[in-house]
Amino acid sequence: MRINVTVNGIAYEKDVAENRTLLRFLREDLGLTGTKEGCGAGECGACTVFFNGKTVNSCMVLAVEANEGTIETIEGESSGGMLSRLQEAFDRHHAVQCGFCTAGMIMSARELIHHTPHPTVDQIKEGLEGNFCRCTGYEQIIEAVLDVTGGYTAKEELIHV
Amino acid sequence: MIHQFSYTAPTELTDLLTLLETVGPGARLLAGGTDLLVNIRNGLVKPNTLVDVKRIPEAHAIMSDNTKGLRIGWAVTINDILRNSDIASSYQLLQTCAHDLASYQVRNRATVVGNIVNASPCSDMAPALLCLDASVEIASSKAYRTVPVRQFFTGVKRTVLKPDEMVIGITIPIQSKGAKGKYRKLKRIQGHDLGIIGVAVARVGDSLRIAVSSAAPTPVATGALPLDITDSEALAAVDALISPISDVRCTKEYRRFMVSEFTRRLLAEVRS
Ligand SMILES: Cc1cc2nc3c(=O)[nH]c(=O)nc-3n(C[C@H](O)[C@H](O)[C@H](O)COP(=O)(O)OP(=O)(O)OC[C@H]3O[C@@H](n4cnc5c(N)ncnc54)[C@H](O)[C@@H]3O)c2cc1C
Ligand code: FES
Ligand code: FES
Repeated sequence: MRINVTVNGIAYEKDVAENRTLLRFLREDLGLTGTKEGCGAGECGACTVFFNGKTVNSCMVLAVEANEGTIETIEGESSGGMLSRLQEAFDRHHAVQCGFCTAGMIMSARELIHHTPHPTVDQIKEGLEGNFCRCTGYEQIIEAVLDVTGGYTAKEELIHV
Repeated sequence: MIHQFSYTAPTELTDLLTLLETVGPGARLLAGGTDLLVNIRNGLVKPNTLVDVKRIPEAHAIMSDNTKGLRIGWAVTINDILRNSDIASSYQLLQTCAHDLASYQVRNRATVVGNIVNASPCSDMAPALLCLDASVEIASSKAYRTVPVRQFFTGVKRTVLKPDEMVIGITIPIQSKGAKGKYRKLKRIQGHDLGIIGVAVARVGDSLRIAVSSAAPTPVATGALPLDITDSEALAAVDALISPISDVRCTKEYRRFMVSEFTRRLLAEVRS
C-alpha cells in the first residue's frame, strides 16, 4: 500500500507492505536507526516514537496505520546540531550507558514532561514504566528528568529512588 | 511479521459492517493492536484481512449523560479514559483499573473494547465494567443487540460475538454514577505486569459488588450484595465464584488465598 507520512517534519510517500511494522519502516525503509527494536512485543519501550502526538510502541503499530499521520523520532530531538535540554541532562547525569534504551527513554520523558511539567519521582517512574534499561539502574535517568523539570536538588536526597 | 494480510480502514460504520460480512471469518478488526499484532507476530492468529476500526470519528467518543449514563466508543483508549474529567468525577473505578493496565505507551493505543473482546481472564478493565453493570453494544450489518458484560465472556479468550459482529460501544447505566470502588492487582513487580490475580470492590448505590480477574476462565463478579453483609459472607460469595488454576505465575491455592486477602482488605477500605 502507498502511504503518505510526515516524519520529523519531512513528508514521505512510500510503498510499504501491509505487514510491515512502523518500527521496521522507520529503521529499514527510511534509515532512521535511532529507534531500536528490543522485544518486538510491547514490553521494553526501546521502539517508542510519537505517532500523531502520542507515544506508542512502534513495534506494535503497522506502517500503513501511519498513513496521513505524523511521526517524531529521536532523530528529530536535537535541532541545528544542538542537543535538546533533555538530551543534555541525560548526558550530564550519565543516564546513558550502552544507549539502547535511550531513544525510547527520551521520547517517553518528553511525553511525561508535556503532560506533567513538574513530575515527582513517582510520576517519573510511572511515566517511564514502559521503558526498560538494563544498564543504568534508572537512578541517573530519573535524575536527568528531575533536572530538566526543576526538581533536582542534591543527589543525596535521591538515594533509593 | 512473516504472515501476510491486506489492510483496510473504512471511514463509515456501515462500510465496516458490510466488510465484516463479506470478508467473513478471515477478517480481523484492528483497534490498538496491542493484543492482535503480538498474536499475529507469534503466529497464533493468521487473518487474511485487517480492518482498522479507528478511522471512524464516532469511535473515539466518550459521552456522559445525566439520564443515560456513560457511553464509551469502540476505539476509546485506556489513556482516553484516564484523561476524561466526567469519568474522573463520576465513574472513578474505571480510572482506577485503567491505571493498572500495561504501560503508558501501551495505554495510548490499547482500547477498552479490545481489552474485553480479547477476553483474557486477567483483563484489568473487566472488573470495573462488571462492578459498574456495564453492557456491550453489538452490531452486524443486519442486527443490533446489547449484552451485559456479565454474559459477554464465555470462556478463556471467548465471547458471545459472532464472526460478522463487532462491538460498537460500552454503556454504563446512570445507576452506577458516583460508585466508589478500589482495585488491587497482585503483580511480580511494581512496574507494568499482567496480574497474578486482581480484585475490585465497589459500592454502587446501596449495594456492594466484588469482581475478580485471573482466578477463573473469565473475569467474574458477584451480584449486588447488601451493604451490611459480613466479611465472612462476602468472602464466601467470592470464594464460590472463582476456580483458579496453577500455572507459571503461581499455584491455585495461592491465588485463592490472595483473592480472599485482597477482598478482605478492600472491603475495609471501601466501607470506611
Ligand atoms: C506489553 C503489554 C502489556 C499488557 N498489559 C496488560 C495488562 O496489564 N492488563 C490487561 O488487561 N491487558 C494487558 N495487555 C493486553 C492489551 O494491551 C489489552 O487487552 C488491550 O486493551 C487490547 O486492546 P487493543 O485495542 O490493543 O486490541 P486489539 O489488539 O486491536 O484487539 C484485540 C482483539 O479484539 C478484537 N477487536 C478489536 N476491536 C473490536 C471491536 N470493536 N469489535 C469486535 N472485536 C474487536 C480484535 O480483532 C482482537 O481479536 C498488555 C499487552 C501488552 C503488549
Ligand atoms: S521493541 Fe517495541 S516494546 Fe520492545
Ligand atoms: S543504557 Fe543500556 S539499556 Fe539503558
